[in-house]
Amino acid sequence: MRHLGICLVISIILIVFGFENSALAYLDPGTGSMVLQLLLGGIAGAVVILKLYWGRFVGLFRGNAREESEHSSSEDQK
Amino acid sequence: MGGVQPLPGSFRDPSGSVYQFEGRIFRTVNGCFSQDFDFVTSTGLFKKLATEGLLLPFEVVSADVLKLSDPKPRYVLEAPRLPFISYPYEWSFPALKAAALLHLRIHLQSLEVGVTLSDASAYNIQFQGNHPVFIDHLSFRRYQSGEMWVGHRQFCEQFLNPLLLRAFFGISHNAWYRGTQEGITTGEIRRLLKWRHCWKWNVLTHVVLQDLFQKTSTKRTKSLQNHSLAQASFPLPSFKAMLEKMFHWISQLTPLNKGQSTWWDYDKTCSYSSMETKSKKQFILEFAQTVQPTFLWDFGCNTGEYSEAALNGGARNVVGFDFDQGALDGSYHRAVERRLSFQALFMDAANPSPNQGWNGHERESLQSRASADAVLALALVHHLAIARNIPLVQVVNWLIMLAPQGVIEFVPKNDPMVQELLSLRQDIFSEYTAEHFMGLLKEKAVIIKNETVSKSGRLLVWFKRK
Repeated sequence: MRHLGICLVISIILIVFGFENSALAYLDPGTGSMVLQLLLGGIAGAVVILKLYWGRFVGLFRGNAREESEHSSSEDQK
Repeated sequence: MGGVQPLPGSFRDPSGSVYQFEGRIFRTVNGCFSQDFDFVTSTGLFKKLATEGLLLPFEVVSADVLKLSDPKPRYVLEAPRLPFISYPYEWSFPALKAAALLHLRIHLQSLEVGVTLSDASAYNIQFQGNHPVFIDHLSFRRYQSGEMWVGHRQFCEQFLNPLLLRAFFGISHNAWYRGTQEGITTGEIRRLLKWRHCWKWNVLTHVVLQDLFQKTSTKRTKSLQNHSLAQASFPLPSFKAMLEKMFHWISQLTPLNKGQSTWWDYDKTCSYSSMETKSKKQFILEFAQTVQPTFLWDFGCNTGEYSEAALNGGARNVVGFDFDQGALDGSYHRAVERRLSFQALFMDAANPSPNQGWNGHERESLQSRASADAVLALALVHHLAIARNIPLVQVVNWLIMLAPQGVIEFVPKNDPMVQELLSLRQDIFSEYTAEHFMGLLKEKAVIIKNETVSKSGRLLVWFKRK
């Protein structure tokens, strides 16, 4: 779980700041708009990462549940 | 530079300028922008958008046509001349909304082929009748991986915030927009918001957070620059999702208190009977059939009932003006539903759009933009002469000056509509009589036909300037 959280944060930072872009226009985009887009990009990135890791995330519980059930069934067999 | 000068409003974009030469419209593409222009052309986007009617078509003509030498343009494009140029501060709510959706649609289609828009100016859109069309061919440039929606702030100020003003508060954008010319800032719209608006995700992000970030960053601009904000990346899927969500949001916006305006149902509740309406329509129809105006102005167009009659009679383009939002909304929907070459604009006849903007000429006044070859002024004179205290002689002279021929309706004092205007005030209008009106008109025009169309004595006069 701790690894997953770290992975998520690093990925968002990479998505938001990792790829440098030098496209400058004659129009001032406005700092507020740019920061907002960074945030929205970050949220969208986080959603993508969540989707990617959702299986593993759910698997953690399923795995635990399976382990527990395997554990309990093996105890029953005793 | 040769003798041809760019149009007064065409100076902001270094990529090129717009020229009017011998009645034709040209757009230059400067060398600094030619690579982008070549790229966009190679994608086939220009042709595709023009075929779909979203972009004004153009042809590349000889670069020498304008005889420009400093700088010599890389390309010269010729686009069809539009019958009338209008500005977003004259558009109705549904027209501004249609323009906003067109901009977003074009941007989404552009991104599909690796092209983006360099700005989001509402002035890049014009209307052909009720149909919005994108006119700035130099707004298109190559998309660079990870770049942001550069025009987002401008889009919010010039499209979104003016629409929110009417959708949330029932206030029309026109007067405010005409004052600023650049729309309504996000800071201003945020200050008007109530708590009930802010919990919605779109409002929270595009208004509240954007303004918050703008204000915070203004205080710390230097530190933000150090963080290379200008070089940060915005993933393409997020860019597209942002445009799509904005499209969805705007397509859902409707005016607050729709139907509570004074004039929106005027054609149903006005003081004359259906027989009188029929006579009035017949009069306009006959006028249009005889005159066949190419470009007709309808001052006080209401929901466009008589503009439609003029179009049915043979008028080719009608631009109507009214100051009532409900009437303008009704006009827009009439034009869309019946596919009329009719555009209704916000305009107070007593305060028409002036020359304004940079150097006083960036945006032209109503009369410098076009000259109509016919004018309709139905049930308008009493609003100017009585409700606004403009001397009758000035009203008549102004109408004759607008176009060489037209139809004016004179509503006498005993009509219920004029009685209503006078009900709470002193009648200081001794000269407001049909005889005096006709006398003033005859001084400068010939009367072709006149007809009384109501029991109260409403008079329609077909005039031709001397």
